[in-house]
Amino acid sequence: MRIGIVCPYSFDVPGGVQNHVMDLAEALLGLGHEVSVLAPADEDATLPPYVVPAGRAVPLPYNGSVARIALFGPVSTTRVRRWITRGDFDVLHVHEPLIPSLSMMAVLSARGPVVATFHTAITRSRVLAAAQGMLQILLERITARIAVSALARKVQVEHLDGGAVEIPNGVAVAKFAGVEPLPGWPGECATGTGGTLGFLGRFTEARKGFPILRDAFVALAPHRPGLRLLVAGPGDPDDLFGQFPVEVRDRVTFLGLVSEVDKARMLRSVDLYVAPNTGGESFGMILTEALAAGATVVASDLDAFRRVLDGGRAGRLFPTGDAAGLRTALAELLDDPAQRAALTACGDQVVAHYDWPVVARRVLEVYAAAIEATDGRVIDQEWVGLGGPG
Amino acid sequence: MLPQLWAVLATAVVVALLAVYLVWTAGRVERLQTRAESAARALDAHLLRRAAAAAVLAEKRYGVELYAAARIALDAVPEEREAAENDLTRQLRAVRLDPADPACEAVIAASRRLALSRQVHTDLVRDARSARSRPLVRLCRMGRRHPWPRYFDIDDPTLALPADVPTG
Repeated sequence: MRIGIVCPYSFDVPGGVQNHVMDLAEALLGLGHEVSVLAPADEDATLPPYVVPAGRAVPLPYNGSVARIALFGPVSTTRVRRWITRGDFDVLHVHEPLIPSLSMMAVLSARGPVVATFHTAITRSRVLAAAQGMLQILLERITARIAVSALARKVQVEHLDGGAVEIPNGVAVAKFAGVEPLPGWPGECATGTGGTLGFLGRFTEARKGFPILRDAFVALAPHRPGLRLLVAGPGDPDDLFGQFPVEVRDRVTFLGLVSEVDKARMLRSVDLYVAPNTGGESFGMILTEALAAGATVVASDLDAFRRVLDGGRAGRLFPTGDAAGLRTALAELLDDPAQRAALTACGDQVVAHYDWPVVARRVLEVYAAAIEATDGRVIDQEWVGLGGPG
Repeated sequence: MLPQLWAVLATAVVVALLAVYLVWTAGRVERLQTRAESAARALDAHLLRRAAAAAVLAEKRYGVELYAAARIALDAVPEEREAAENDLTRQLRAVRLDPADPACEAVIAASRRLALSRQVHTDLVRDARSARSRPLVRLCRMGRRHPWPRYFDIDDPTLALPADVPTG
């Protein structure tokens, strides 16, 4: 199948949508399809061979961070049109079509089947309601919609008056499972001694719940010599170390902001990965990544986390916000290699469902449904390479 | 220039804009209508495929009740089809499907594709209906060559399996 994918954000800045698009494109190429990705980028940027640059991106504050998107204009519209004409795609797959970007331009220029993936759960319903007429013109050009989380799907149903197929974010299991841990990590972990805890993310952001992990760590450290904490994510080291009493500071290691590869290595370097989030998570991507890296996961009992962890079979859940509960769970698991192994084994099974080739097959089924709804022909499982598990 | 000429010119511009808008709207209604009809044909094909796969499976292992449900779904007249398809979904949920068996896998895959097809059909019918119920469209009786798009109201036919990707 010939597939055209449009990414609204520039690849120079890493981000969830960009990673999603790249991993999906690579998984589809791996399944034997022809894929072209249109994304904002300078002509001289180094890009994967399947990416077509659509010109300069400008920074735009969006959703609490700065996204780099291509602006509307005659030049970018021409490029989008030319790319669509030359590509002669069987299906066009746009990401985040509701922000003014390449994706929106592509939807407006497209003629054939269009599949749209909604990543963020935008809840500014008044804005959506005000622009309903304009939005309708855009939305009715979309044949099939995908939402990456239950929350994103809810927005579709409640505010945009349409359904969406929920297909979770994939995780490139091979990329996480294949890397070496950082040198010297995770070290020994025996009864009553040693062990490494991991945390990844903005430790300053309240909903990530870092203080809960800090309290549990500070309470547990005196009773457990050799216990270490590995933290990665954006932030000032002083803000991090300042939170810990002097006597345990040398047992905390801070890596700062890490690349995708180092993230995988970091997750391979811990005995227990801790996700103490207090809310606001719609999916829990980091959990699938930790599972893919083979870490045992300890997470707060949020809906999204419980779903990923299969109700607690693939990772230990503790009451959200409860530092004492987390401490108990950590002490118990660090002393019990058999229980860790059982959780990790179940985690391997769970994460196999999120592996990109598996997720990409489900996306292909949506492509097939969109093509069928456009011209009424029915596509065989074999033609799109849909054999195997789904 | 004479004031009358301005008036004529302004009227001409308004008429031209109105004509463009009408032609554009008519094209839009036609496009949405055609697409809803294509989606209905695809949905029909997937319903037939699922029923056929279920019949094959019933002959192989699960026997009379599932076979009867599949047959009834295949032969149902349009007015009874939704009920017959729901009944088939219930029968399929009642049996234990083993994803390792090719006949079972065929039913599972057909149900998954049917679920997508149903979702897309519902969305496209909604778009077509909302376009056709606009006052201007009704006034000009655009799309009157097509029947009013109908929803196909059945339960979600997805078969929940332990091996399936957890969603929801």
